[in-house]
Amino acid sequence: MTQISKDDVKYVAALAKIAITDDEAEKFTKDLSEILGYVEQLDSVNTDGLQPTYQVNGLINITRDDQIIDYKTSREKLLANAPKTNGEFVEVPKVL
Amino acid sequence: MLDKSVFDSYQPTIGIECHVQFKTKTKLFSGADNDERGKLPNQATSPLCFGLPGTLPILNKEAVRLAVRAGLALNANIGKISSFDRKHYFYPDLPKGYQITQLDRPIVLDGFVDVPVGESMVRVRINHAHLEEDAGKSTHPAGAEYSLVDLNRAGTPLLEIVSEADMHSSAEAKAYVQELYLLMKYADVTFGDLQYGNMRFDVNVSVAKKGADELGTRTEVKNLNSFRAVERAIEFEVKRQIELLETGKAVRQETRGWVEATQKTVPQRSKEEAMDYRYFPEPDVPPVVLSDEFIEEVRGSMPMLPSKLRAEIEARGIDQQTAETLILRDALTNSSYTKTVLAQEGNEAARFAANFIANRDISYCDGLEKDGKSVGELPSAKKFLAVFELRQKGELSSNNADALLFALRHRPEAEPRELAEELGFLQENDSSALEAIISKVLAEPFNQKAAEDIKSGQMKAIGFLVGQVMKASQGKANPSAVRDLIIKQIGV
Repeated sequence: MTQISKDDVKYVAALAKIAITDDEAEKFTKDLSEILGYVEQLDSVNTDGLQPTYQVNGLINITRDDQIIDYKTSREKLLANAPKTNGEFVEVPKVL
Repeated sequence: MLDKSVFDSYQPTIGIECHVQFKTKTKLFSGADNDERGKLPNQATSPLCFGLPGTLPILNKEAVRLAVRAGLALNANIGKISSFDRKHYFYPDLPKGYQITQLDRPIVLDGFVDVPVGESMVRVRINHAHLEEDAGKSTHPAGAEYSLVDLNRAGTPLLEIVSEADMHSSAEAKAYVQELYLLMKYADVTFGDLQYGNMRFDVNVSVAKKGADELGTRTEVKNLNSFRAVERAIEFEVKRQIELLETGKAVRQETRGWVEATQKTVPQRSKEEAMDYRYFPEPDVPPVVLSDEFIEEVRGSMPMLPSKLRAEIEARGIDQQTAETLILRDALTNSSYTKTVLAQEGNEAARFAANFIANRDISYCDGLEKDGKSVGELPSAKKFLAVFELRQKGELSSNNADALLFALRHRPEAEPRELAEELGFLQENDSSALEAIISKVLAEPFNQKAAEDIKSGQMKAIGFLVGQVMKASQGKANPSAVRDLIIKQIGV
Protein backbone atom coordinates (compact mmCIF):
# COMPACT_ATOMS: atom_id res chain seq x y z
CA MET A 1 0.00 0.00 0.00
CA THR A 2 1.27 3.42 -0.92
CA GLN A 3 2.36 5.39 2.07
CA ILE A 4 2.15 9.13 1.86
CA SER A 5 4.24 11.22 4.17
CA LYS A 6 3.21 14.03 6.48
CA ASP A 7 5.18 16.36 4.18
CA ASP A 8 3.04 15.24 1.23
CA VAL A 9 -0.07 16.15 3.20
CA LYS A 10 1.30 19.55 4.16
CA TYR A 11 2.29 20.17 0.54
CA VAL A 12 -1.16 19.29 -0.78
CA ALA A 13 -2.75 21.45 1.92
CA ALA A 14 -0.52 24.36 0.95
CA LEU A 15 -1.44 23.98 -2.74
CA ALA A 16 -5.11 24.07 -1.79
CA LYS A 17 -4.47 27.01 0.57
CA ILE A 18 -5.83 25.07 3.53
CA ALA A 19 -4.27 25.75 6.92
CA ILE A 20 -3.91 22.53 8.94
CA THR A 21 -2.39 21.87 12.35
CA ASP A 22 0.33 19.33 12.95
CA ASP A 23 -2.18 16.97 14.56
CA GLU A 24 -4.47 17.24 11.58
CA ALA A 25 -1.58 16.54 9.24
CA GLU A 26 -0.88 13.40 11.25
CA LYS A 27 -4.50 12.29 11.01
CA PHE A 28 -4.78 13.03 7.26
CA THR A 29 -1.54 11.19 6.54
CA LYS A 30 -3.18 8.04 7.85
CA ASP A 31 -6.60 8.76 6.25
CA LEU A 32 -5.24 9.64 2.83
CA SER A 33 -2.95 6.61 2.78
CA GLU A 34 -5.98 4.41 3.41
CA ILE A 35 -8.00 6.12 0.69
CA LEU A 36 -5.14 5.75 -1.78
CA GLY A 37 -4.80 2.11 -0.83
CA TYR A 38 -8.48 1.58 -1.56
CA VAL A 39 -8.25 3.25 -4.95
CA GLU A 40 -5.14 1.26 -5.76
CA GLN A 41 -7.30 -1.79 -6.27
CA LEU A 42 -7.83 -0.35 -9.76
CA ASP A 43 -4.17 -1.10 -10.52
CA SER A 44 -5.04 -4.78 -10.74
CA VAL A 45 -7.09 -4.15 -13.91
CA ASN A 46 -5.22 -4.61 -17.18
CA THR A 47 -5.66 -1.39 -19.20
CA ASP A 48 -3.17 -2.15 -21.98
CA GLY A 49 -4.27 -0.64 -25.28
CA LEU A 50 -7.17 1.30 -23.78
CA GLN A 51 -7.78 5.01 -24.35
CA PRO A 52 -8.06 7.04 -21.15
CA THR A 53 -11.63 7.94 -20.19
CA TYR A 54 -12.01 11.69 -20.30
CA GLN A 55 -15.71 11.76 -19.77
CA VAL A 56 -18.53 9.32 -19.08
CA ASN A 57 -21.77 10.95 -20.22
CA GLY A 58 -21.10 10.71 -23.96
CA LEU A 59 -22.00 14.34 -24.64
CA ILE A 60 -20.12 16.21 -27.37
CA ASN A 61 -20.16 19.70 -28.87
CA ILE A 62 -22.30 21.42 -26.26
CA THR A 63 -21.88 24.97 -27.50
CA ARG A 64 -23.74 28.24 -27.71
CA ASP A 65 -23.90 30.95 -30.37
CA ASP A 66 -21.70 34.00 -29.95
CA GLN A 67 -24.45 36.30 -28.66
CA ILE A 68 -24.32 38.46 -25.55
CA ILE A 69 -26.52 37.05 -22.81
CA ASP A 70 -28.41 39.30 -20.43
CA TYR A 71 -27.70 37.78 -17.01
CA LYS A 72 -30.24 40.09 -15.31
CA THR A 73 -27.68 41.36 -12.89
CA SER A 74 -25.41 44.39 -12.60
CA ARG A 75 -21.82 45.19 -11.97
CA GLU A 76 -22.79 46.48 -8.52
CA LYS A 77 -24.57 43.26 -7.60
CA LEU A 78 -21.67 41.15 -8.84
CA LEU A 79 -19.12 43.25 -6.98
CA ALA A 80 -21.25 43.00 -3.83
CA ASN A 81 -20.38 39.27 -3.69
CA ALA A 82 -16.71 40.05 -3.18
CA PRO A 83 -15.45 40.08 0.43
CA LYS A 84 -14.11 43.57 -0.20
CA THR A 85 -14.43 46.15 -2.95
CA ASN A 86 -12.71 49.43 -3.68
CA GLY A 87 -14.72 51.67 -5.97
CA GLU A 88 -15.09 49.81 -9.25
CA PHE A 89 -12.65 47.06 -8.29
CA VAL A 90 -12.45 43.97 -6.14
CA GLU A 91 -9.90 44.66 -3.43
CA VAL A 92 -7.58 41.85 -2.38
CA PRO A 93 -4.56 41.59 -0.09
CA LYS A 94 -1.44 42.81 -1.86
CA VAL A 95 -0.11 40.32 -4.41
CA LEU A 96 3.32 40.28 -6.10
CA MET B 1 33.48 43.36 -20.81
CA LEU B 2 33.72 40.21 -22.84
CA ASP B 3 35.15 40.14 -26.31
CA LYS B 4 32.71 39.88 -29.20
CA SER B 5 34.33 36.60 -30.27
CA VAL B 6 33.30 35.10 -26.91
CA PHE B 7 29.65 36.04 -27.49
CA ASP B 8 29.91 34.70 -31.01
CA SER B 9 31.10 31.33 -29.74
CA TYR B 10 27.66 30.70 -28.20
CA GLN B 11 24.45 29.79 -29.92
CA PRO B 12 21.15 30.92 -28.38
CA THR B 13 18.10 28.66 -28.66
CA ILE B 14 14.68 30.22 -28.41
CA GLY B 15 11.13 28.93 -28.18
CA ILE B 16 8.09 31.18 -27.92
CA GLU B 17 4.60 30.86 -26.48
CA CYS B 18 2.15 33.37 -27.84
CA HIS B 19 -1.26 34.16 -26.34
CA VAL B 20 -3.72 35.52 -28.87
CA GLN B 21 -7.01 37.04 -27.66
CA PHE B 22 -9.89 36.20 -29.98
CA LYS B 23 -12.26 38.93 -31.15
CA THR B 24 -15.46 37.04 -30.38
CA LYS B 25 -18.48 39.04 -29.22
CA THR B 26 -18.70 37.04 -26.01
CA LYS B 27 -16.33 35.19 -23.74
CA LEU B 28 -15.14 31.61 -24.12
CA PHE B 29 -17.53 30.05 -21.63
CA SER B 30 -20.07 32.77 -20.87
CA GLY B 31 -22.26 35.20 -22.76
CA ALA B 32 -20.57 38.21 -21.15
CA ASP B 33 -19.40 41.02 -23.45
CA ASN B 34 -15.89 40.26 -24.66
CA ASP B 35 -15.06 43.81 -25.76
CA GLU B 36 -13.72 45.74 -22.80
CA ARG B 37 -12.71 48.79 -24.81
CA GLY B 38 -14.47 51.85 -23.47
CA LYS B 39 -16.00 49.91 -20.58
CA LEU B 40 -15.72 50.60 -16.87
CA PRO B 41 -13.72 48.15 -14.73
CA ASN B 42 -15.71 44.96 -14.03
CA GLN B 43 -18.45 46.06 -16.42
CA ALA B 44 -17.85 43.39 -19.09
CA THR B 45 -18.55 40.57 -16.67
CA SER B 46 -21.11 37.93 -15.75
CA PRO B 47 -21.64 35.62 -12.77
CA LEU B 48 -19.27 33.16 -14.50
CA CYS B 49 -16.44 35.71 -14.68
CA PHE B 50 -16.78 36.14 -10.93
CA GLY B 51 -16.65 32.37 -10.45
CA LEU B 52 -19.93 32.34 -8.58
CA PRO B 53 -21.29 29.00 -7.34
CA GLY B 54 -23.97 27.42 -9.50
CA THR B 55 -22.67 28.75 -12.78
CA LEU B 56 -21.86 26.40 -15.64
CA PRO B 57 -19.50 27.08 -18.56
CA ILE B 58 -20.90 26.66 -22.09
CA LEU B 59 -18.42 26.76 -24.94
CA ASN B 60 -18.63 29.60 -27.48
CA LYS B 61 -19.02 28.04 -30.94
CA GLU B 62 -17.36 31.01 -32.65
CA ALA B 63 -14.19 30.57 -30.56
CA VAL B 64 -13.92 27.03 -31.91
CA ARG B 65 -14.25 28.29 -35.48
CA LEU B 66 -11.60 30.96 -34.90
CA ALA B 67 -9.25 28.39 -33.37
CA VAL B 68 -9.58 26.28 -36.51
CA ARG B 69 -8.89 29.35 -38.68
CA ALA B 70 -5.81 30.15 -36.63
CA GLY B 71 -4.69 26.53 -36.86
CA LEU B 72 -5.04 26.52 -40.64
CA ALA B 73 -3.01 29.74 -40.83
CA LEU B 74 -0.30 27.90 -38.87
CA ASN B 75 -0.27 25.07 -41.45
CA ALA B 76 -1.35 22.83 -38.62
CA ASN B 77 -3.36 19.66 -38.31
CA ILE B 78 -6.65 20.25 -36.54
CA GLY B 79 -7.55 18.02 -33.61
CA LYS B 80 -10.68 16.10 -34.64
CA ILE B 81 -11.37 15.47 -30.97
CA SER B 82 -10.24 18.04 -28.46
CA SER B 83 -11.12 18.46 -24.82
CA PHE B 84 -10.69 20.78 -21.87
CA ASP B 85 -8.88 20.41 -18.57
CA ARG B 86 -8.76 22.29 -15.30
CA LYS B 87 -5.49 23.90 -14.30
CA HIS B 88 -5.50 24.86 -10.63
CA TYR B 89 -3.77 27.78 -9.04
CA PHE B 90 -4.72 30.53 -6.67
CA TYR B 91 -4.43 34.09 -7.82
CA PRO B 92 -6.90 36.92 -7.25
CA ASP B 93 -7.48 37.48 -10.96
CA LEU B 94 -8.78 33.89 -11.27
CA PRO B 95 -11.81 33.73 -8.97
CA LYS B 96 -12.75 30.07 -9.65
CA GLY B 97 -9.34 28.87 -8.49
CA TYR B 98 -8.73 27.11 -11.79
CA GLN B 99 -8.36 27.98 -15.45
CA ILE B 100 -10.19 25.96 -18.11
CA THR B 101 -7.56 25.10 -20.70
CA GLN B 102 -6.52 22.19 -22.92
CA LEU B 103 -3.72 19.90 -21.80
CA ASP B 104 -4.00 16.44 -23.36
CA ARG B 105 -6.03 17.06 -26.48
CA PRO B 106 -5.55 20.56 -27.90
CA ILE B 107 -7.58 21.82 -30.84
CA VAL B 108 -4.52 22.72 -32.96
CA LEU B 109 -1.85 20.06 -33.42
CA ASP B 110 1.55 20.25 -35.10
CA GLY B 111 2.15 22.92 -37.73
CA PHE B 112 4.79 25.35 -38.94
CA VAL B 113 5.42 28.96 -39.89
CA ASP B 114 7.88 29.96 -42.61
CA VAL B 115 9.39 33.20 -41.40
CA PRO B 116 11.20 35.59 -43.73
CA VAL B 117 14.37 36.78 -42.01
CA GLY B 118 16.18 39.19 -44.33
CA GLU B 119 16.85 37.30 -47.54
CA SER B 120 16.34 33.83 -46.14
CA MET B 121 13.47 31.80 -44.75
CA VAL B 122 13.44 30.15 -41.32
CA ARG B 123 10.92 27.41 -40.60
CA VAL B 124 9.61 27.51 -37.04
CA ARG B 125 7.65 24.39 -36.12
CA ILE B 126 4.50 24.73 -34.05
CA ASN B 127 4.23 22.11 -31.31
CA HIS B 128 0.51 22.74 -30.77
CA ALA B 129 -1.94 25.51 -29.91
CA HIS B 130 -4.63 25.23 -27.27
CA LEU B 131 -7.75 27.13 -26.41
CA GLU B 132 -8.15 28.55 -22.91
CA GLU B 133 -9.72 31.37 -20.94
CA ASP B 134 -7.83 34.54 -20.05
CA ALA B 135 -7.53 35.70 -16.43
CA GLY B 136 -8.56 39.10 -15.07
CA LYS B 137 -6.17 41.94 -14.51
CA SER B 138 -4.74 42.95 -11.17
CA THR B 139 -3.15 46.31 -10.52
CA HIS B 140 -0.93 47.20 -7.62
CA PRO B 141 -1.27 50.86 -6.59
CA ALA B 142 2.09 52.19 -5.44
CA GLY B 143 2.47 52.13 -1.69
CA ALA B 144 -0.91 50.49 -1.09
CA GLU B 145 -1.27 47.35 1.03
CA TYR B 146 -3.80 45.94 -1.39
CA SER B 147 -4.22 45.06 -5.06
CA LEU B 148 -7.21 45.82 -7.26
CA VAL B 149 -8.86 43.28 -9.55
CA ASP B 150 -10.72 43.98 -12.78
CA LEU B 151 -12.42 40.92 -14.30
CA ASN B 152 -13.31 42.41 -17.70
CA ARG B 153 -10.64 40.28 -19.33
CA ALA B 154 -11.47 37.16 -17.32
CA GLY B 155 -12.84 34.51 -19.64
CA THR B 156 -11.72 36.09 -22.93
CA PRO B 157 -10.90 33.30 -25.40
CA LEU B 158 -7.16 32.83 -25.80
CA LEU B 159 -5.24 30.64 -28.18
CA GLU B 160 -1.82 29.76 -26.80
CA ILE B 161 0.51 28.97 -29.70
CA VAL B 162 3.53 26.96 -28.58
CA SER B 163 6.51 26.87 -30.93
CA GLU B 164 9.41 24.46 -30.95
CA ALA B 165 12.77 25.94 -29.93
CA ASP B 166 13.68 26.55 -33.57
CA MET B 167 14.97 30.12 -33.34
CA HIS B 168 18.59 31.02 -32.76
CA SER B 169 18.76 34.81 -32.63
CA SER B 170 16.73 37.77 -31.40
CA ALA B 171 16.23 38.80 -35.04
CA GLU B 172 14.68 35.42 -35.89
CA ALA B 173 12.46 35.61 -32.82
CA LYS B 174 11.28 39.10 -33.69
CA ALA B 175 10.58 38.06 -37.28
CA TYR B 176 8.62 35.05 -35.97
CA VAL B 177 6.36 37.08 -33.67
CA GLN B 178 5.78 39.60 -36.46
CA GLU B 179 4.80 36.79 -38.80
CA LEU B 180 2.45 35.36 -36.15
CA TYR B 181 0.87 38.80 -35.88
CA LEU B 182 0.31 38.92 -39.64
CA LEU B 183 -1.07 35.39 -39.70
CA MET B 184 -3.54 36.03 -36.88
CA LYS B 185 -4.65 39.32 -38.48
CA TYR B 186 -5.09 37.76 -41.91
CA ALA B 187 -6.89 34.77 -40.40
CA ASP B 188 -9.10 37.46 -38.85
CA VAL B 189 -9.21 35.94 -35.38
CA THR B 190 -8.00 38.90 -33.29
CA PHE B 191 -8.13 42.69 -33.16
CA GLY B 192 -4.37 42.33 -32.87
CA ASP B 193 -4.00 45.51 -30.85
CA LEU B 194 -0.73 44.92 -29.05
CA GLN B 195 -1.16 47.97 -26.83
CA TYR B 196 -4.20 46.30 -25.31
CA GLY B 197 -2.41 43.00 -24.84
CA ASN B 198 -4.31 41.26 -27.63
CA MET B 199 -1.10 39.32 -28.29
CA ARG B 200 1.35 38.52 -25.50
CA PHE B 201 4.56 36.55 -25.72
CA ASP B 202 6.58 34.36 -23.34
CA VAL B 203 10.09 33.59 -24.56
CA ASN B 204 12.24 30.64 -23.48
CA VAL B 205 15.92 31.36 -23.92
CA SER B 206 19.05 29.28 -23.39
CA VAL B 207 22.61 29.49 -24.67
CA ALA B 208 25.20 26.79 -25.36
CA LYS B 209 28.63 26.72 -26.96
CA LYS B 210 28.29 26.30 -30.70
CA GLY B 211 28.47 22.64 -31.61
CA ALA B 212 27.57 21.49 -28.09
CA ASP B 213 25.37 18.39 -27.88
CA GLU B 214 23.14 19.67 -25.13
CA LEU B 215 21.17 22.85 -24.71
CA GLY B 216 21.92 25.15 -21.80
CA THR B 217 19.61 25.82 -18.87
CA ARG B 218 16.73 27.98 -20.01
CA THR B 219 14.94 30.93 -18.50
CA GLU B 220 11.47 32.11 -19.40
CA VAL B 221 10.69 35.81 -19.83
CA LYS B 222 6.95 36.25 -19.46
CA ASN B 223 4.34 38.66 -20.70
CA LEU B 224 6.06 40.65 -23.44
CA ASN B 225 3.59 42.67 -25.46
CA SER B 226 5.54 44.14 -28.35
CA PHE B 227 7.83 42.83 -31.08
CA ARG B 228 10.51 45.17 -29.84
CA ALA B 229 10.22 43.92 -26.26
CA VAL B 230 10.61 40.33 -27.52
CA GLU B 231 13.78 41.31 -29.39
CA ARG B 232 15.26 43.33 -26.53
CA ALA B 233 14.43 40.84 -23.80
CA ILE B 234 16.13 38.05 -25.76
CA GLU B 235 19.19 40.18 -26.45
CA PHE B 236 19.41 40.96 -22.74
CA GLU B 237 18.95 37.33 -21.64
CA VAL B 238 21.49 35.97 -24.13
CA LYS B 239 24.11 38.44 -22.95
CA ARG B 240 23.29 37.89 -19.28
CA GLN B 241 23.49 34.10 -19.61
CA ILE B 242 26.77 34.16 -21.54
CA GLU B 243 28.29 36.50 -18.97
CA LEU B 244 27.21 34.18 -16.14
CA LEU B 245 28.71 31.14 -17.85
CA GLU B 246 31.93 32.95 -18.75
CA THR B 247 32.45 33.95 -15.12
CA GLY B 248 31.98 30.39 -13.92
CA LYS B 249 28.43 30.84 -12.66
CA ALA B 250 25.39 28.83 -13.54
CA VAL B 251 22.17 29.95 -15.21
CA ARG B 252 19.22 29.32 -12.92
CA GLN B 253 16.08 27.91 -14.44
CA GLU B 254 13.53 30.55 -13.55
CA THR B 255 10.75 32.83 -14.69
CA ARG B 256 11.74 36.41 -15.33
CA GLY B 257 9.89 39.60 -16.10
CA TRP B 258 10.79 42.39 -18.53
CA VAL B 259 11.13 45.89 -17.12
CA GLU B 260 10.48 48.35 -19.92
CA ALA B 261 11.94 51.34 -18.07
CA THR B 262 15.34 49.74 -17.48
CA GLN B 263 15.29 47.41 -20.53
CA LYS B 264 16.29 44.54 -18.26
CA THR B 265 14.88 41.19 -17.20
CA VAL B 266 14.45 40.51 -13.48
CA PRO B 267 13.63 37.32 -11.57
CA GLN B 268 9.95 36.90 -10.68
CA ARG B 269 8.51 35.16 -7.70
CA SER B 270 6.68 32.24 -9.20
CA LYS B 271 2.94 31.99 -8.68
CA GLU B 272 3.07 28.42 -7.49
CA GLU B 273 6.34 27.25 -6.04
CA ALA B 274 6.31 23.78 -7.51
CA MET B 275 4.17 24.62 -10.56
CA ASP B 276 1.92 21.79 -9.49
CA TYR B 277 -1.30 22.62 -11.28
CA ARG B 278 -3.14 19.36 -10.50
CA TYR B 279 -4.71 19.14 -13.95
CA PHE B 280 -7.75 16.97 -14.49
CA PRO B 281 -10.36 16.68 -17.28
CA GLU B 282 -12.95 19.47 -17.06
CA PRO B 283 -16.20 17.66 -16.30
CA ASP B 284 -18.44 20.63 -17.18
CA VAL B 285 -17.34 21.03 -20.80
CA PRO B 286 -17.87 18.01 -23.09
CA PRO B 287 -15.28 17.28 -25.79
CA VAL B 288 -15.31 19.07 -29.13
CA VAL B 289 -15.60 16.77 -32.14
CA LEU B 290 -14.98 18.37 -35.53
CA SER B 291 -16.04 16.87 -38.84
CA ASP B 292 -13.88 16.93 -41.95
CA GLU B 293 -16.68 18.87 -43.65
CA PHE B 294 -16.51 21.61 -41.04
CA ILE B 295 -12.72 21.88 -41.26
CA GLU B 296 -12.85 22.01 -45.06
CA GLU B 297 -15.58 24.62 -44.95
CA VAL B 298 -13.38 26.81 -42.75
CA ARG B 299 -10.41 26.17 -45.03
CA GLY B 300 -12.49 27.34 -47.98
CA SER B 301 -13.21 30.64 -46.22
CA MET B 302 -9.56 31.49 -45.55
CA PRO B 303 -8.12 34.55 -47.32
CA MET B 304 -4.78 34.58 -49.09
CA LEU B 305 -2.11 34.46 -46.35
CA PRO B 306 1.11 36.52 -46.23
CA SER B 307 3.42 33.88 -47.74
CA LYS B 308 1.21 33.50 -50.80
CA LEU B 309 0.63 37.27 -51.00
CA ARG B 310 4.37 37.90 -51.00
CA ALA B 311 4.87 35.55 -53.92
CA GLU B 312 1.96 37.08 -55.87
CA ILE B 313 3.08 40.65 -55.26
CA GLU B 314 6.68 39.94 -56.12
CA ALA B 315 5.58 38.14 -59.28
CA ARG B 316 4.22 41.51 -60.39
CA GLY B 317 7.74 42.95 -60.33
CA ILE B 318 7.31 44.72 -57.00
CA ASP B 319 10.30 44.65 -54.68
CA GLN B 320 10.31 42.67 -51.45
CA GLN B 321 10.35 45.68 -49.15
CA THR B 322 7.36 47.29 -50.81
CA ALA B 323 5.53 43.96 -50.64
CA GLU B 324 6.23 43.73 -46.89
CA THR B 325 5.03 47.29 -46.35
CA LEU B 326 1.77 46.58 -48.13
CA ILE B 327 1.13 43.34 -46.27
CA LEU B 328 1.84 44.92 -42.89
CA ARG B 329 -0.22 48.00 -43.71
CA ASP B 330 -3.26 45.90 -44.54
CA ALA B 331 -2.91 44.18 -41.17
CA LEU B 332 -2.47 47.42 -39.22
CA THR B 333 -5.30 49.33 -40.89
CA ASN B 334 -7.67 46.43 -41.64
CA SER B 335 -7.53 47.36 -45.32
CA SER B 336 -7.03 45.39 -48.50
CA TYR B 337 -4.46 47.45 -50.35
CA THR B 338 -2.69 44.30 -51.52
CA LYS B 339 -5.90 43.26 -53.26
CA THR B 340 -6.04 46.61 -55.06
CA VAL B 341 -2.46 46.16 -56.21
CA LEU B 342 -2.97 42.60 -57.40
CA ALA B 343 -6.16 43.55 -59.24
CA GLN B 344 -4.29 45.98 -61.51
CA GLU B 345 -3.92 44.93 -65.11
CA GLY B 346 -0.30 44.84 -66.11
CA ASN B 347 2.76 44.99 -63.92
CA GLU B 348 3.38 48.68 -64.47
CA ALA B 349 -0.02 49.65 -63.08
CA ALA B 350 0.50 47.24 -60.17
CA ARG B 351 3.87 48.81 -59.37
CA PHE B 352 2.38 52.28 -59.58
CA ALA B 353 -0.38 51.37 -57.15
CA ALA B 354 2.07 49.56 -54.84
CA ASN B 355 4.47 52.48 -54.71
CA PHE B 356 1.71 54.97 -54.13
CA ILE B 357 0.43 53.02 -51.14
CA ALA B 358 3.80 52.06 -49.72
CA ASN B 359 5.20 55.57 -49.98
CA ARG B 360 2.41 57.06 -47.92
CA ASP B 361 3.34 57.25 -44.29
CA ILE B 362 1.04 55.21 -42.12
CA SER B 363 0.29 58.33 -40.11
CA TYR B 364 -1.72 59.51 -43.10
CA CYS B 365 -4.30 56.84 -42.34
CA ASP B 366 -4.10 57.47 -38.60
CA GLY B 367 -4.49 61.19 -39.24
CA LEU B 368 -7.70 60.67 -41.17
CA GLU B 369 -9.04 58.51 -38.38
CA LYS B 370 -8.31 61.17 -35.78
CA ASP B 371 -10.07 63.79 -37.87
CA GLY B 372 -13.11 61.56 -37.75
CA LYS B 373 -12.90 61.01 -41.50
CA SER B 374 -13.29 57.49 -42.62
CA VAL B 375 -10.08 56.01 -43.95
CA GLY B 376 -12.10 53.72 -46.11
CA GLU B 377 -10.55 52.04 -49.02
CA LEU B 378 -8.05 53.36 -51.46
CA PRO B 379 -9.59 54.04 -54.87
CA SER B 380 -10.73 50.93 -56.65
CA ALA B 381 -8.33 48.98 -58.81
CA LYS B 382 -10.05 50.34 -61.90
CA LYS B 383 -9.58 53.94 -60.78
CA PHE B 384 -5.95 53.30 -59.96
CA LEU B 385 -5.55 52.13 -63.53
CA ALA B 386 -7.25 55.26 -64.89
CA VAL B 387 -4.94 57.49 -62.83
CA PHE B 388 -1.98 55.45 -63.97
CA GLU B 389 -2.96 55.92 -67.62
CA LEU B 390 -3.33 59.70 -67.17
CA ARG B 391 0.11 59.76 -65.61
CA GLN B 392 1.57 57.63 -68.39
CA LYS B 393 0.15 59.86 -71.10
CA GLY B 394 1.77 62.77 -69.35
CA GLU B 395 -1.52 64.42 -68.48
CA LEU B 396 -0.75 64.29 -64.77
CA SER B 397 2.47 65.24 -63.01
CA SER B 398 3.73 62.80 -60.39
CA ASN B 399 2.59 65.12 -57.58
CA ASN B 400 -0.82 65.59 -59.09
CA ALA B 401 -1.23 61.85 -59.61
CA ASP B 402 -0.81 61.45 -55.85
CA ALA B 403 -3.12 64.37 -55.14
CA LEU B 404 -5.76 62.91 -57.44
CA LEU B 405 -5.61 59.52 -55.70
CA PHE B 406 -6.09 61.24 -52.34
CA ALA B 407 -8.97 63.29 -53.72
CA LEU B 408 -10.63 60.16 -55.08
CA ARG B 409 -10.83 58.69 -51.61
CA HIS B 410 -13.24 61.42 -50.63
CA ARG B 411 -15.09 61.49 -53.95
CA PRO B 412 -15.46 57.80 -54.64
CA GLU B 413 -18.22 58.47 -57.16
CA ALA B 414 -16.08 60.76 -59.34
CA GLU B 415 -14.42 59.72 -62.60
CA PRO B 416 -10.65 60.22 -62.26
CA ARG B 417 -10.24 62.34 -65.42
CA GLU B 418 -13.22 64.56 -64.65
CA LEU B 419 -12.08 65.12 -61.09
CA ALA B 420 -8.55 65.94 -62.29
CA GLU B 421 -9.99 68.49 -64.66
CA GLU B 422 -12.20 69.99 -61.99
CA LEU B 423 -9.26 70.31 -59.61
CA GLY B 424 -7.01 71.78 -62.32
CA PHE B 425 -4.58 68.86 -62.09
CA LEU B 426 -4.30 68.12 -65.81
CA GLN B 427 -1.12 69.08 -67.60
CA GLU B 428 -1.09 71.03 -70.83
CA ASN B 429 0.08 68.74 -73.62
CA ASP B 430 -1.57 70.55 -76.48
CA SER B 431 1.44 71.51 -78.62
CA SER B 432 -0.06 74.54 -80.30
CA ALA B 433 -1.13 76.10 -77.01
CA LEU B 434 2.26 75.27 -75.50
CA GLU B 435 4.13 76.63 -78.51
CA ALA B 436 2.31 79.93 -78.16
CA ILE B 437 3.38 80.19 -74.52
CA ILE B 438 6.96 79.25 -75.41
CA SER B 439 7.16 81.85 -78.18
CA LYS B 440 5.97 84.44 -75.71
CA VAL B 441 8.52 83.39 -73.10
CA LEU B 442 11.38 83.33 -75.62
CA ALA B 443 10.43 86.79 -76.81
CA GLU B 444 10.88 88.25 -73.32
CA PRO B 445 14.12 90.31 -73.18
CA PHE B 446 14.72 88.87 -69.72
CA ASN B 447 15.06 85.35 -71.21
CA GLN B 448 17.38 86.25 -74.11
CA LYS B 449 20.58 85.33 -72.28
CA ALA B 450 19.38 81.80 -71.56
CA ALA B 451 18.29 81.32 -75.18
CA GLU B 452 21.71 82.51 -76.40
CA ASP B 453 23.46 80.14 -74.00
CA ILE B 454 21.48 77.22 -75.36
CA LYS B 455 22.27 78.19 -78.93
CA SER B 456 25.97 78.15 -78.06
CA GLY B 457 25.57 74.65 -76.67
CA GLN B 458 25.18 75.30 -72.93
CA MET B 459 22.21 73.04 -72.44
CA LYS B 460 21.98 73.48 -68.70
CA ALA B 461 20.35 76.86 -69.25
CA ILE B 462 17.30 75.05 -70.54
CA GLY B 463 16.09 74.26 -67.00
CA PHE B 464 15.63 77.98 -66.41
CA LEU B 465 13.52 78.37 -69.54
CA VAL B 466 11.41 75.30 -68.75
CA GLY B 467 10.77 76.87 -65.35
CA GLN B 468 9.65 80.13 -66.97
CA VAL B 469 7.25 78.27 -69.28
CA MET B 470 5.87 76.22 -66.40
CA LYS B 471 5.21 79.44 -64.52
CA ALA B 472 3.52 81.02 -67.53
CA SER B 473 1.29 77.91 -67.90
CA GLN B 474 0.44 77.99 -64.19
CA GLY B 475 2.05 74.64 -63.68
CA LYS B 476 -0.16 72.82 -66.12
CA ALA B 477 2.41 72.21 -68.84
CA ASN B 478 4.15 68.88 -69.07
CA PRO B 479 7.83 69.71 -68.40
CA SER B 480 9.30 67.13 -70.74
CA ALA B 481 7.06 68.27 -73.59
CA VAL B 482 8.07 71.87 -72.84
CA ARG B 483 11.72 70.95 -72.99
CA ASP B 484 11.34 69.31 -76.40
CA LEU B 485 9.40 72.25 -77.79
CA ILE B 486 11.92 74.84 -76.55
CA ILE B 487 14.75 72.97 -78.26
CA LYS B 488 12.67 72.81 -81.44
CA GLN B 489 11.90 76.53 -81.38
CA ILE B 490 15.46 77.64 -80.68
CA GLY B 491 16.57 75.25 -83.36
CA VAL B 492 19.55 73.46 -81.88
